[in-house]
Amino acid sequence: MLPLIEWLSQTPLSLAIQTREWVVPTIQSVHIVAIGVVVASVFMIDLRVLGWAGRDQTLVETVDRFGPWLSWALGVLLVTGALMVIGEPARELLSFSFWLKMTLVALGTVIAAAFQIALRRNQQRWEESLIERRATKSLAIVTLLIWAGIIVLGRLIAYDHIWGAWSLAPKA
Amino acid sequence: MGIADLLAALEASSIATTIRESLYLFPFIEAAHVIGLTMVFGTIAIVDLRLLGLASARRPFSRIASDVMRWTWAAFALTALTGLLMFSTNAAVYYHNLFFRAKMAMLACAGINILIFGRTVGRSIQQWDRDVAAPRALLQHGRAARGWRRGRRRP
Repeated sequence: MLPLIEWLSQTPLSLAIQTREWVVPTIQSVHIVAIGVVVASVFMIDLRVLGWAGRDQTLVETVDRFGPWLSWALGVLLVTGALMVIGEPARELLSFSFWLKMTLVALGTVIAAAFQIALRRNQQRWEESLIERRATKSLAIVTLLIWAGIIVLGRLIAYDHIWGAWSLAPKA
Repeated sequence: MGIADLLAALEASSIATTIRESLYLFPFIEAAHVIGLTMVFGTIAIVDLRLLGLASARRPFSRIASDVMRWTWAAFALTALTGLLMFSTNAAVYYHNLFFRAKMAMLACAGINILIFGRTVGRSIQQWDRDVAAPRALLQHGRAARGWRRGRRRP
């Protein structure tokens, strides 16, 4: 990991980000706006699955409304997140919170993509029966918890010492 | 008691001290704050995009508002509470921070915005609930408001 961090931190892009104080806070702000879009989109879809909101619309209509926003915002998160890794490689790549967060991001993204594909393949069955299954409702709650966990871990990158011995950061 | 005493008292409170001395409390309060503010932002965006007629345009506004707004308020309560807790740990520093002040000023603007909406177009929702975009109602209101001001200015 250290050679990668060393190399990344010497790239022109990384140096450009490091030498301008306003860049990282600005990227972080865009990143937080985008996670707001993702969380609200996932939240509305999951509320529909749980039957707590949007019952005047079908599941497909709900996913049509929020799915594209979810995809776009995930793209923005990926780009702004990558820029932050390039700009501050040691802060991110040596953080236990970061790797745990990336694991949850992968999980959350796979679930979102798999759900959308499964829904398109078999719309009628989803509307009529699958949505009523306990497993589907549980998945909705698990998905919400995953995205909440992603936000928490994202913030904990700044406090990686709380992981004690698990933190990869050089001990002071 | 001046503002400086108030800030000092807040910092010296047992709850602020407990948070400052804990390794875990501040990071997790801050994380909860971010969950709250992302929810506030995202849900308000849903309502506002509907008002502008840019998304969910065929759903009645009131339906979306009743689906979404209670979560907005719950999330706002979480954000405000965690924000106050974080503020208390280092009140004087936050109080003098320019960005903190700008943020509070914008929060005040957001509150005024809600008040104006509630007292104006918010009162006639039934008339434009199914319109694709609210601007027509907003425009009508705007004309009415200008008329009202002109009326008031007349001796």
